[in-house]
Amino acid sequence: MSDHTPAMEFHPQPRPGTPAPWAFPAPERLTLANGLTVLHCHRPGQQLVAVDVVLDAPLAAEPEGLDGVASILARALSEGTDTLSAEEFAGELERAGATLDTHADHPAIRVSLEVPASRLERGLTLLGDALRAPALPADEIERLVANRLDEIVHEQANPGRRAAKALYAELFPAADRLSRPRAGSAETVKRIDRAAVQAFYAAHLRPSTATAVVVGDLTGTDLAALLESTLGRWTAETREPAVHAPVTADDTGRVVIVDRPGSVQTQLLIGRIGPDRHDPEWAAQVLGTYCLGGTLTSRLDRVLREEKGYTYGVRAFAQALRSAADGSGRGLLAISGSVDTESTAPALQDTWTILRTLAAEGLTDAEREEAVQFLVGVAPLKFETAGSVAATLADQVEQYLPDTYQADFYRKLAELDTAAATRAVVAAFPPDRLVTVLVGDASVIAEPVKALGIGDVTVIA
Amino acid sequence: MANPAPASGLAITEHRLANGLRVVLSEDHLTPVAAVCLWYDVGSRHEVKGRTGLAHLFEHLMFQGSANVSNNGHFELVQGAGGSLNGTTSFERTNYFETMPAHQLELALWLEADRMGSLLAALDETSMENQRDVVKNERRQRYDNVPYGTAFEKLTALSFPDGHPYHHTPIGSMADLDAATLEDARAFFRTYYAPNNAVLSIVGDLDPEQTIAWVEKYFGSIPAHDGKQPPRDGTLPDTIGAEVRELVREDVPSRALMAAYRLPHDGTREADAADLALTILGSGESSRLYNRLVRRDRTAVSAGFGLLRLAGAPSLGWLDVKAGGEATLERIEAAVDEELARFAAEGPTAEELERAQAQIEREWLDRLTTVAGRADELCRYAVLFGDPKLVNSALPKVLDVTAEEVRAVAAARLRPDNRAVLVYEPTGDDDSNDSDEEAAA
Repeated sequence: MSDHTPAMEFHPQPRPGTPAPWAFPAPERLTLANGLTVLHCHRPGQQLVAVDVVLDAPLAAEPEGLDGVASILARALSEGTDTLSAEEFAGELERAGATLDTHADHPAIRVSLEVPASRLERGLTLLGDALRAPALPADEIERLVANRLDEIVHEQANPGRRAAKALYAELFPAADRLSRPRAGSAETVKRIDRAAVQAFYAAHLRPSTATAVVVGDLTGTDLAALLESTLGRWTAETREPAVHAPVTADDTGRVVIVDRPGSVQTQLLIGRIGPDRHDPEWAAQVLGTYCLGGTLTSRLDRVLREEKGYTYGVRAFAQALRSAADGSGRGLLAISGSVDTESTAPALQDTWTILRTLAAEGLTDAEREEAVQFLVGVAPLKFETAGSVAATLADQVEQYLPDTYQADFYRKLAELDTAAATRAVVAAFPPDRLVTVLVGDASVIAEPVKALGIGDVTVIA
Repeated sequence: MANPAPASGLAITEHRLANGLRVVLSEDHLTPVAAVCLWYDVGSRHEVKGRTGLAHLFEHLMFQGSANVSNNGHFELVQGAGGSLNGTTSFERTNYFETMPAHQLELALWLEADRMGSLLAALDETSMENQRDVVKNERRQRYDNVPYGTAFEKLTALSFPDGHPYHHTPIGSMADLDAATLEDARAFFRTYYAPNNAVLSIVGDLDPEQTIAWVEKYFGSIPAHDGKQPPRDGTLPDTIGAEVRELVREDVPSRALMAAYRLPHDGTREADAADLALTILGSGESSRLYNRLVRRDRTAVSAGFGLLRLAGAPSLGWLDVKAGGEATLERIEAAVDEELARFAAEGPTAEELERAQAQIEREWLDRLTTVAGRADELCRYAVLFGDPKLVNSALPKVLDVTAEEVRAVAAARLRPDNRAVLVYEPTGDDDSNDSDEEAAA
């Protein structure tokens, strides 16, 4: 061993200095003359300004049989305006050094602009025009529909996407929009044309039910005037905001194997529904879920990765699905990762053992302490960029949470004890109420998984 | 103090310890965070035949404890202090980074020094076997179990000849990962993990004098050593000379045309010109290839170009087109060649050049917007080009490139006889016999 004896001089592990105070930034609000709500937040030094717009056009509002129309609309928003063709619009955005991303999800359509502060006015003008007067040209919509049909084939080949699709179809009632793919299936997407997209735009996109979040270095910017002359030009009649139905799910413990012959790994997605961010238990659930599977040193990876080598990493998480102002919304709770095919049943066996041990013995104070230190301590890093602050504020808007939510969350988190975190994570992941989706080679994994006794096993193509 | 905006540039100071460790500091007090980044001048190009993947496997072992840090202690201590961390391995270097709340900076330095000086005191067979399995699962997850997942590996192998240091990718082959021994890992550490083969950058809310004192205290006594061999020579002719082509029949969702063009080395003005050419041709929804293939011809679902910047070998321009519907690759390839030939003849319009420069400026701002991004760039310029201060002239250099230079590099390099082509034809459902064999293997 002398061979490996280090020649360096060692010193004791250093002690931390005095932490600098930090709090999640508090946004200010204003309302434009057209009814658009604005949240803004000055972040000195952040030269890339982020603008996130939340549009009150939930997927549940899509007409029967037209799943995907919200996604096609979202994509078509950047395909030209009343003054610019699709190619010109893309060119103008790039000339401003800007990016514009759009996404339709269950709660809302989100449009995200990032632009250097020096070109903020140009970026906001293009964003305003896209919202106010999108051309929605028939030929580009036809192309977007064709691209979406191709995209579905690619999703089908991706183990992660396929697992998510199967889990949502299992958990939620067929009548709930949550049960079906966000951007639609081949059958529904084929029916989408310009008229359908235009009608969805007219029915659901309007400033009075929309919110814009602006974050970045706004030094020397008269933001109110700038917004009035850009996003303020968008007008439409006022309508009542959307109402979201409560979320229900069937979490009877069972296993669905999505057969993917020849897979060298099995994609695991184990889930159910639980509280969303309105629930008083949310902070405790975040803490407990982190201890279960938030990082490489959490309970799941400590065994599955660092002891057994079954996986590159498995994570447990909770995310909002569809929230409501009255708190009746729910979140998705899940464990996700992939393991080599031969290790599928052993990895599931270990996962259930970890969950049962957790329920029987609870978390330790040391785990709670490390998790709180990480989750609270990492916040200044997590929110270093304008984009991350804007996205979090927009999530709050989309989920009907107060502007102070994130700041309060960190205060709450720091005060939680070990018992609270244990209680929440044990309630979140009961071993007999989990729907397990496995995307992998059924001919190899089905029999060993049946033998585990974690629920009835169904194999689907 | 320091302003992240490129106009004024980053405030940078440089130091060198007696053992050869180069240290780069940049202050920024806007947020109470500090990034530590350590680049070791070793990557997959230093690996030898039969041991591909060793540099990356070794990177995993760096998280398995050292003389004063338990197995996984590195993760536990950094995260327990509210920091985030990771490491990555590329062809040319291996980097390790921690971003910490500013008052925990000293801990990150202590941890990096402990493993730089004493990793072998903790490294054992158990860690080696475990991380070998983890890395094999990483390979399966990222490359083997996803459609087109091995395209990068295949194209790289086509672009650089057998025996060339860049012929294989950092993930390595399953057979070589299986073959690596604990003694290989120890020898790798003794050869490459030395203070005189590394650059340490620290960026953020820091006190420079205090920080240098800590660096001196923790790293100063680690002995230098000179066991390192230079990487095998990566010099190649500017162009391939004749097209190389491979057809892959696999169970993929659609036909695809991929290609790698040999381009100028990173760090040269010609590489910046090539970056602009690829941006105009294939980055974003106003690019020439997107407009031609996706919008007008409607033969593709996606079409784009990327640039893999390499300093020790020719960079690669990366073409990736996924066919849409029933479109044939012959038609797509003819359209690509036509667009490239037209660009080589006419060059960019003034507006295209302006747009491309604005996009690159935004990407650059984006990279420099976090302390971790700045720390990584400082290491990159120090390790690959010898001077971290070059970070401040990187963007002005791109903005200085002329339309004629962009045209010239396209004409010289974006030619059919200077590319490796990879063509995917889906097998469909009728070929399930192949899949069964793989499953049984």
